[in-house]
Amino acid sequence: MAKTRELKPEDFSTYTVKKTNPALRVLAYIGLVFWALVNLFPIYWMFTFSLKNNEEIFGANVAGLPQHWLWSNYTSAMKTGHMATYFINSIIIAVATILITLLVSMMATYAMTRLVWKGRKTMNKFFMLGLTIPIHASIVPIYIQLSKMHMLNTYQALIVPYSAFSLAMAILICTGFMDEIPKDIDESAYIDGCGVWRTFFTMIVPLMKPAVATIGIYTFLQCWNELMFANIFNTNLKTLPVGIQALSGQYTTDWGPIGAALVVATFPTLLVYIFLSKRIQDSFIAGAVKG
Amino acid sequence: MKKKILATLLAGAMVLSLAACGSTPAASTETPAASTEAPAASTETSVEAPAADAGEKVDLEMWCIATESDSNRHSYEAAIADVTAAHPEVNFTWEAIENQAYKTKIKAAVAADEMPDIFFTWSCAFLGDFVDAGRVYCLDDAYETWKSELPESMMGNSTYGGKHYGVPLTMNIVGLFANMEILKSIGYDAVPGTYEEFIACCDALKAAGIIPFGCAGKETWCVTEYLESVIEKSCGADTLNDIFLGKATWNNDDVASAVDTFQGLVNNGYFDPEGIALSNDEVKANFMAGKYAFYMNGTWNCADFAGNAEFGPKVQVAEFPVINADKATLGQLIGGPSDTLAVAASSKNAELAATFTFELGREICHYGYLDGCGLPAWTPYYEAAGINPLTQAVAEICANAKAYVLFGDTAMNADSANTYLSYVDQVYGCAIDGAGFVAGLTNDIG
Amino acid sequence: MKKKKLINGINVFLFLLPGLALFIGILIAPIVLSGYYSFFDMNAYGAKEYIGLANYKELFSSTAIGFFKALKNSLLLAALSVFVQLPVSLGIALLLGKGIKGERAFLSIYFMPVLISTVVIGQLWLKIYNPSYGILNVCLRGLGLDNLAKIWLGTKETALGAVFAPTLWQYVGYHMLLLYAGVKSVPLELREAAMLDGATDGQINRYIVIPYIKGILKVSVIFAVTGSLKSFDLIYVLTNGGPLHATEVPSTLMINMLFLRNRYGMGSTIAVMLILLCFAFALVISAIFKQED
Repeated sequence: MAKTRELKPEDFSTYTVKKTNPALRVLAYIGLVFWALVNLFPIYWMFTFSLKNNEEIFGANVAGLPQHWLWSNYTSAMKTGHMATYFINSIIIAVATILITLLVSMMATYAMTRLVWKGRKTMNKFFMLGLTIPIHASIVPIYIQLSKMHMLNTYQALIVPYSAFSLAMAILICTGFMDEIPKDIDESAYIDGCGVWRTFFTMIVPLMKPAVATIGIYTFLQCWNELMFANIFNTNLKTLPVGIQALSGQYTTDWGPIGAALVVATFPTLLVYIFLSKRIQDSFIAGAVKG
Repeated sequence: MKKKILATLLAGAMVLSLAACGSTPAASTETPAASTEAPAASTETSVEAPAADAGEKVDLEMWCIATESDSNRHSYEAAIADVTAAHPEVNFTWEAIENQAYKTKIKAAVAADEMPDIFFTWSCAFLGDFVDAGRVYCLDDAYETWKSELPESMMGNSTYGGKHYGVPLTMNIVGLFANMEILKSIGYDAVPGTYEEFIACCDALKAAGIIPFGCAGKETWCVTEYLESVIEKSCGADTLNDIFLGKATWNNDDVASAVDTFQGLVNNGYFDPEGIALSNDEVKANFMAGKYAFYMNGTWNCADFAGNAEFGPKVQVAEFPVINADKATLGQLIGGPSDTLAVAASSKNAELAATFTFELGREICHYGYLDGCGLPAWTPYYEAAGINPLTQAVAEICANAKAYVLFGDTAMNADSANTYLSYVDQVYGCAIDGAGFVAGLTNDIG
Repeated sequence: MKKKKLINGINVFLFLLPGLALFIGILIAPIVLSGYYSFFDMNAYGAKEYIGLANYKELFSSTAIGFFKALKNSLLLAALSVFVQLPVSLGIALLLGKGIKGERAFLSIYFMPVLISTVVIGQLWLKIYNPSYGILNVCLRGLGLDNLAKIWLGTKETALGAVFAPTLWQYVGYHMLLLYAGVKSVPLELREAAMLDGATDGQINRYIVIPYIKGILKVSVIFAVTGSLKSFDLIYVLTNGGPLHATEVPSTLMINMLFLRNRYGMGSTIAVMLILLCFAFALVISAIFKQED
């Protein structure tokens, strides 16, 4: 893993201080803070209107904190809106997709980086085609196939396509990490009499922990947020994005419960992010640098 | 070719339906207050008895769109309670899916031949596609039993090649809803009866700073509720019907000038300019909040309007006035039976399902009418006195009906309907005029 | 020896099998099938008739479908993405990458929109844009700028911009993080040497950092362009292509064809065009970056 250097301003402050015009510096800060507000305000607004009644949202108190904290909006989002069910559906699909993607991509990468055979480079390029293929391109054939196999409205109907579409990125990330594991490890394992499979599962997989985080996050974001497939393949087992769409159809004029649903769909991810932000950013960076 | 035959049949049914619907309210007075509770129990059990072997339950599954927020929810629940009670041998399960999602879901299920035994559908083209694919059970045999209560004319929209495939529930028309409180404030005691007076009224409203019409531009079908009424009252019901059913082309100067008339209303500022970005629910809420004087939409809204204690007393429903008296008359309406139940050809117990569907349809129609969700497609066997005044007013309008033209997007197949809606959108947005509308549709549909 | 080779071959095959099965079954085969379907007039219920290139002809000529208008919209989005979104991202990345107080906090905040579901973002912006109660118009009116308050998503002239703004906004954080990683990987010695030579920040960025992170820039540009070509979620939630097709993009057209009009053949034709465009742009961008070297 290419370690990203922790640069601190004082590292080269001797040079920068005299080079940077203080006015420019202030300007840069103003810009950064402004952009931070642009990013934070919608989230703040969403949270506050999820606790208000229409009267406050529509005029009395547009941007301030709610006067009466209406937690009942959450009750109706959970009960009438079935947000809890959608949440569980999304979790089941995301977890299964991540597990499948991890296992499959590690196996494929292992075959392409550590087993010696002709054509492994070509095979890698073949998989990389997947990076540019838009997920929509396959919607009709997959839809027809799923309906022929009576698999519409099942968890598999989303898990399998999501795994397939996450594969290219996962292999890309995996290749970077696996290249860095010394080849000696395999060789000493072979000498000890370990077969390829045991080497893979007992030696390589445990060393791939950092890749697991990166791939997991990439895959999670992709399937947690996907709308098009979820909307069409699974009308019964709604995921969060589809559920929110349906709910907003029910509550067009009552914004509070919609706000509550949006918060329910968003805040768990954001909370995890706040605690793990450095980890998640590093994962992304690592993934990008490998690419 | 097939389309042509179908079209002819539908047209025939439409012409018939005017007589049938006209007699509906009369029939309701003829029938004395029959036992409203479990009315048909005795006849049905005898029909059903052979199908049920002692103790063995038959599974029947139904999909519909009566979700908890749907105004038809109660009529489905009540009807299902009645009919399942009369059929102890049936193990009935049902599921309600939100309207938009349901369209995708039922199409997928038909494609995969995985429909439930009984399913909700819209009549005409929507059901027609399924019938063409051979996935719908023919109801001719079962219909024999119900002929006396369900007029043939009401079956027209779900009859293909002379065979019956659907059980109609309620029927609805487009109504001109008016907020009388607003009209009174500018000196009108009733909805103006002629087009000139109507326009004068709109001008007066505008002058008083009140928006005459609310219309949801985000949902094009709401625009068609206005546009189709204007076309019908300018060109006559027959012209519009022939075009919708593919018997005549769109290349019609009268239609073009009617579209221009509609666009004139838009350009005169009679419509809420914000409406173009709003959904129907939002516009409806605005109307109930007193933002608009008029709202043209389906009469299924009657229940919601009348049920609102504050708004109910203020609202009245009327027919859109005649624009060109040479071609159109009062009594030419937009609407007809569209909500339909059908039985899957793949159902293991199709015969039982068919009987069950007729009974269910009859009861849903009954409760739906009492709830004010629409007019009955079935001849009522009960006293309908307690029905809300709005629905009664609609029934009166229908009593004088001379012709019905089914909603354009229901009458046409999915592809044509969406082309049509896309042009309606452009008319509402003033991107094309009547000539452009007619030329485009002639070119794309015929 | 031979036996060992055979075993190796079997192992390679077994390790690749799940990946290949998924990849071919879900990505490659459907694309081939889409290509095949695009020559048919077919609907959801099995009716299927070979019509040669008629779908392509109709797609390119029909004004009712308006494919080129949709394509123009998505290309405009791609251009905005490359020439507005990426420069903003790069600017932030350069500022933060240089080392600044609160670097981590800014980084974390800027990345937040990427984590939020597009549907949530869409619903949120729907509320922001609401003509009567949306915070945008409320603020404008509050500032006395009543004439600037608009029906953002309902007016042909403003709808496209109103849809693009959140699309571009959401992914600034994503590109910023990629580029930030690149900026951070610039060797300290290079920077120091330049500073000792008296280079300003601007010069360092221009002559050292940007050339150094070209690889990541290329990835960013490819992601931005192909991402724009296949953009769907936000547009679907905000306008679904309306008003008057002003915000139509190829993906919304495709979904329309498939699930509103039951035209599977035409839907497949649009899908094929999308793949071809994505590949073509990826190749062109790679070629441009190569030429620069």
